Amino acid sequence: MKDSLDKIISDAQQASTWLAYRKAVRQINELSASDKTTLKSGMKVAFVSSFTIDPLVDFTTVEAAASSIGLGTYIAPFGQVSQETLNPQSGLYVFIPDVTVLIAEADKLAEKAIDAADEIIALAQSFRQNTSGLLVVTTFMAPPDWPLHLLPSERQLELDKANQRLRETFKDDPRVQICDLAMLASYYGYTHALSPEMMAMARMPFAESFLVLLAKKLVSHFKVHAGLIRKCIVLDCDNTLWGGIIGEDGMDGIALGPDCPGREFVDFQKAILELYEQGVILAINSKNNEADILQVLREHPHMVLKEEHFAAICVNWNPKPDNMKTIAGQVNIGLDTLVFVDDNPAERQIMNQMLPEIDVLELPANPALYAKTLRETNFFAKASLTEEDKGRGQMYAAQRQRSRLQQSTATLEDYLKSLEMTCSIRPAEEKDIKRAAQLTQRTNQFNLTTRRYTEPDIRHMVESPDWEVYVLGLKDKFGDNGTVGLAMVEKQKDVWQIDTFLMSCRVIGRQAEDAFVDRICRDAVTAGATGLKAEYTKTQKNALAADFWDKMNFKKQASDEKRTDYKFSLIDYGPKKFEYLNIES
Amino acid sequence: MTTHEKLEQIFHDAFGVEKLTDDMSIDTVEGWDSMAHVALIMTLQKEFNITISPQKAIELTDVASIKQLLGT
Repeated sequence: MKDSLDKIISDAQQASTWLAYRKAVRQINELSASDKTTLKSGMKVAFVSSFTIDPLVDFTTVEAAASSIGLGTYIAPFGQVSQETLNPQSGLYVFIPDVTVLIAEADKLAEKAIDAADEIIALAQSFRQNTSGLLVVTTFMAPPDWPLHLLPSERQLELDKANQRLRETFKDDPRVQICDLAMLASYYGYTHALSPEMMAMARMPFAESFLVLLAKKLVSHFKVHAGLIRKCIVLDCDNTLWGGIIGEDGMDGIALGPDCPGREFVDFQKAILELYEQGVILAINSKNNEADILQVLREHPHMVLKEEHFAAICVNWNPKPDNMKTIAGQVNIGLDTLVFVDDNPAERQIMNQMLPEIDVLELPANPALYAKTLRETNFFAKASLTEEDKGRGQMYAAQRQRSRLQQSTATLEDYLKSLEMTCSIRPAEEKDIKRAAQLTQRTNQFNLTTRRYTEPDIRHMVESPDWEVYVLGLKDKFGDNGTVGLAMVEKQKDVWQIDTFLMSCRVIGRQAEDAFVDRICRDAVTAGATGLKAEYTKTQKNALAADFWDKMNFKKQASDEKRTDYKFSLIDYGPKKFEYLNIES
Repeated sequence: MTTHEKLEQIFHDAFGVEKLTDDMSIDTVEGWDSMAHVALIMTLQKEFNITISPQKAIELTDVASIKQLLGT
């Protein structure tokens, strides 16, 4: 089934016409009717637009399927942007969309573009009140009206201003995301993005080939919303990070530097470094002698990527799929969060076959196009960037140095001691809310209940007298791990109920989780509670945490296939001491 | 591939038509609605390297007139 779906999608992409995408939609519908398992995640998406949106819906349905997302769609009646958004009983709200795409032309909303932007902002407000889903708002198309004239038109300046207002208004808004259509069209080129013919015949402004790109951009929003974003890029070395083969050509022989050939690999490495700075983890998977690769990483004057950027360096002669498993284990993330990059089509093919859950970047044959190809992917798209994101690559790379230390110290105790850890546990404040929501949405493995919360949900709990929300931070001699733990406790009369308890995997096994539970116990005792209640809810990914409450000496209560309830008596509770942790509160 | 075969392929992709006949029209072919019509016109222009004005496009509602335009 997977093969035929891939064929349907690649045929449509090859032709890049509306006719071909319409055919693909038909075929995907037939396929899903006969086999429900074809597409992993389902999503309800509504489209509200001032023009004929049907073509974009067809392109988006197929591009979503290419990312294993099955779309159920709703199309608001033609030209009913305001009515659909303002009326709580409209078809839009009855549909209960997960994501709503609002795409309107400025001149259909108001005479002046800036007023159209304000109208969008007002519509978004109504949207917030009427549904809990995500709203994706596009900026207005702002093509030059007279490209060869010397003065920009009044209209164009107004549109630029209006777009700036939209970008600023919805920056970091958890409920509304900006899909920057104006920026996407300028990347593609307005002359290619717009089609006067389509406009004349179908009241739809876009060219068919641009609809492919716009659909992919919308899918980036869907992927972020569904948590399908990748975390780690795994790189081959020879002919991927530099030209030539280090084992044969040597340090002086490989192509890497400001001149030709070599420049193209520097540009590719720069794009990868940008991902690192956005929180993407870097790793190496190469068939080589390790000493050769380390020498390049440490000594080559034109390497943009250095040893300290990598969270795992797997250089040996093992099959590459085996190395991917090793890397996932070392970095402590799931295989389905990895992206594999290799110039060799045979290696890519075997990866696709052996580990289909890994995304593989189809590098072009010409290295001059490597950077462009990577930049046009959405594996690592993000809706917002936290301080944790910016430092994540560095934290994981420091983790690699920690495990080296672990291998060189004799006992676990010696290792923990040598880490010189400081753990801070404190009630969450306003500044922690974004990170806390992100933790509930992204943490899969050491997460006892896997309840996903939005920023407003968490703000509500932080402000409520009935809840205690804790965040945990951990520092050691290799660096600050940032906020890596979250607990949310509902304070009932005599018993405190632990609603959420999660920690980032990379800090598990260093006593911080024990100290976290101890802190909750002590606060509960101080507040006069006599016991704690906790639960473990099984998911596909959190087996790691299955016996955590048992280890903490909580007593098992009711239990079924999915959920186990626990109780813990606080009578005679004695606070614990942690030898290797310096605890701040 | 003859013009007829090429056109038949396009109609097959668009509407699942197996055998193309001149009397087929927007009223008789299932799925040939106003949206599909625009998609069809765009593909005809691309495949046969021709331009079709909006005025002409609304007249091309049966296979016979499309063939006449293509000169077969």
